[in-house]
Amino acid sequence: MTILGEFALWTALPVAVWGMALGFMGGRTQRGDLVLSAERGIYAVFFLLILASLGVGAAFLGDKFEYWYVYAYSNRELELFYKVTGLWAGQRGSLLFWALILAFFSSICVFQNRDKNREFMPYVAAVLQGVILFFIVVLLFADVNPFERLAFTPANGRGLNPQLQNYWMTIHPPTLYLGFTAFTVPFAFAVAALLNGRLDARWIQLTRRWILTSWLFLSVGIIFGMRWAYEELGWGGYWFWDPVENASLLPWLTATAFLHSIQIQESRGMLRVWNMSLVLMTFLLTIFATFLTRSGLIESVHSFAQELKIAYLFLGFMGSILAGCIVLILYRLPELRSENRIESFLSRESAFLFNNLMLLGFAFAVFWGTIFPLVAEAVTGQKISVGPPFFEKVNFPIGLVLLALAGIGPVIAWRRATKRNLRKNFTIPIGVLLLVAAALWAGGARHPLALVTWSICAFVLTVIGIEFWKGTRARARIEGEGYALALMHLVARNRRRWGGYIVHVAMVMIYFAFAGAAYNVDERFHMLPGDVVEVRSPFGHTYALTYEGLTVSLGKGQRNLLWQAVAAISVQKDGKQKPLMTTEKRMYVTADLPMTEVAIRSTVQEDLYLILSALDDMEAAVNGDSNAQGIDLQVLIKPFVGWIWFGGMMLAMGTIVALWPNVDRRRVALEARSEAAPEPAMAGAAD
Amino acid sequence: MTLFIGASLVALAVVLFILQPVVKGLHASLERDEFELTDTEARKRVALLALRDVEYDFLAEKLDEHDYRSLKAELTAEALAALEADERAQHGAGADEDELEAEIAQIRAGLSGAGVCDACGFSNEVGSRFCAACGQAVVAEAAS
Repeated sequence: MTILGEFALWTALPVAVWGMALGFMGGRTQRGDLVLSAERGIYAVFFLLILASLGVGAAFLGDKFEYWYVYAYSNRELELFYKVTGLWAGQRGSLLFWALILAFFSSICVFQNRDKNREFMPYVAAVLQGVILFFIVVLLFADVNPFERLAFTPANGRGLNPQLQNYWMTIHPPTLYLGFTAFTVPFAFAVAALLNGRLDARWIQLTRRWILTSWLFLSVGIIFGMRWAYEELGWGGYWFWDPVENASLLPWLTATAFLHSIQIQESRGMLRVWNMSLVLMTFLLTIFATFLTRSGLIESVHSFAQELKIAYLFLGFMGSILAGCIVLILYRLPELRSENRIESFLSRESAFLFNNLMLLGFAFAVFWGTIFPLVAEAVTGQKISVGPPFFEKVNFPIGLVLLALAGIGPVIAWRRATKRNLRKNFTIPIGVLLLVAAALWAGGARHPLALVTWSICAFVLTVIGIEFWKGTRARARIEGEGYALALMHLVARNRRRWGGYIVHVAMVMIYFAFAGAAYNVDERFHMLPGDVVEVRSPFGHTYALTYEGLTVSLGKGQRNLLWQAVAAISVQKDGKQKPLMTTEKRMYVTADLPMTEVAIRSTVQEDLYLILSALDDMEAAVNGDSNAQGIDLQVLIKPFVGWIWFGGMMLAMGTIVALWPNVDRRRVALEARSEAAPEPAMAGAAD
Repeated sequence: MTLFIGASLVALAVVLFILQPVVKGLHASLERDEFELTDTEARKRVALLALRDVEYDFLAEKLDEHDYRSLKAELTAEALAALEADERAQHGAGADEDELEAEIAQIRAGLSGAGVCDACGFSNEVGSRFCAACGQAVVAEAAS
């Protein structure tokens, strides 16, 4: 099976070349046979990449350590579940997995459009196939072939990094890849529009669902990553402005900007060049993210230098895409002129534009902070690190402006809003903002950033709440419906608007949680069994933590575990007993240092987060010395952190509302009519 | 041996599958489907959606009465132009002219002030029976 997989990967190469070439030729010559062949090429490549992935999977399940990739990321003792997910555990498998998902999405796209939007499809098929081809070339020629064999067969593999043995880590990368690759479809449609000259909002309308799908997976993927960091890295944080995290945030930021600016193009015919640039930028950033995380660049420029081939391939690919698209945009520039101009500074268009500038400013700061250390290291040979302070200083103010815009945008009308309207619509929300700020101050909240963030959160929530209320009330009056029914119909009639508002509420929840970090409590104690320590929460209650003792068990290498030292802590909150918490040190066969497993007790209000920082005498404890029980315990109290995950769920819900397909009433009506009468007649626009 | 046969079968199937259209002359359509929106229809739809947004903004008190009226007139004119272009594009393609005429007439009626509430002056959707702003019965001036 594995050899067949390798064969399939090689076969995919000429098929992808064929498909890409015929797509472009078919588009230019308008020959339907070439186009059909190109489209079938996409299905064929998908099939071949499935075979290749099954080949890698079979090598993992069969413990075939003669393959370097299996040797490096698995061993006999690894749990079956992690062997199955071995496909995306490392660089080589990830690249194959990426190509596989892209081929899957491409096949869906070709199938969906088998008898519509045909004037776009030759070039769409060609572009999609071209991107798949790039990944196949990388796999085969950049020393990252997952089927590469060692000269001998090792008795066992090196095993999987224990930090990756966590369920969040098994779903986080695929989710992000789904987001990254789904964005290739809008990109392909944009290029097709540039090539075939249909530069109105059509390509955007056709790909709106793809854009939202991609955005949904990107957002959820990022949140899964935060959750993984929070649970597994053992320092109590969820975001460290690490290059890997930044790499996934960058396309998210530009995709968010794009989602907002396409609304202006759709309703006002403006910003065409801007939208083309954003789709190009986002696509390039998805490739850049893969490049950054999967080329070895991040660890160090020096280790990266050993992988020159993959770097040249990626840089060459990104460079040629960028150059090609700029040429195309310049060529079409006269036709990309706007139909309209912004009529007034006080309009939703200009609010959207401002939002775009802020998002791009944010993205630029993240981009610069991420690549600056790499550039500096390459030039000076010194390793410089740009830490969280830089990102926080630049991005906190921008983030707050963006949050405020989430509340301002919905209340400003398209085209022109007057001061009087603004006064009318903003009086209550600003009143609420001031009230909340005063209440927080009175309640003892003094941290300026948290105070400002929470007040703006209240403002945005009020605006959106009023929007929902007004819409429901108007609908209830006009249609004579009950309020619940009116609300349902309101959302159903304009899912984009209301789905978008739900996502804004989700963002409020997430910001609310971020600001909670201003009140984090962090204390460290040395403890012996029976010791009790007290930690005061910012909400006023007190936790009494009793160290009950250490239990050491030897894992004898099963599941790669050598030993486990579990510290049990009993918890009392204001004298009331809560469930026992356990935090551990674990030593894996496959790691040099012991790993920490933290204990988390989550409530809506706060998380109690316990870290077993150190054992007094690890060796004695592992050897069963009952006197070696002393530990260092770190106790964190993290207000509101759980709201990030609730916000994530809300965000997914809102996006799904916006994504939910409308029944195409017009098409249904037309089809019904064409069945009834031989001559199809055109009906009016259905909404 | 099994492996060789398997690999050959895979390769053969793939080659046949992608070459068949070229060899046998099977064609994918490159034309627009009859059910798809035409450009002019798409423009009309955009104009009508923009009208809906303006209505909503006015109802939600984000727009002044004056701006609302002028915007509505502009957008209605846009929709009208799109509709007429649509009609021209459809001409000879078996379009149902009577229906289009009726639709255009309806939008024209919107321009001329049908649906304006006698009691409060609110411009209602053409064909409204009751005023969206004050609830009074709207007297139909133009047949719709």
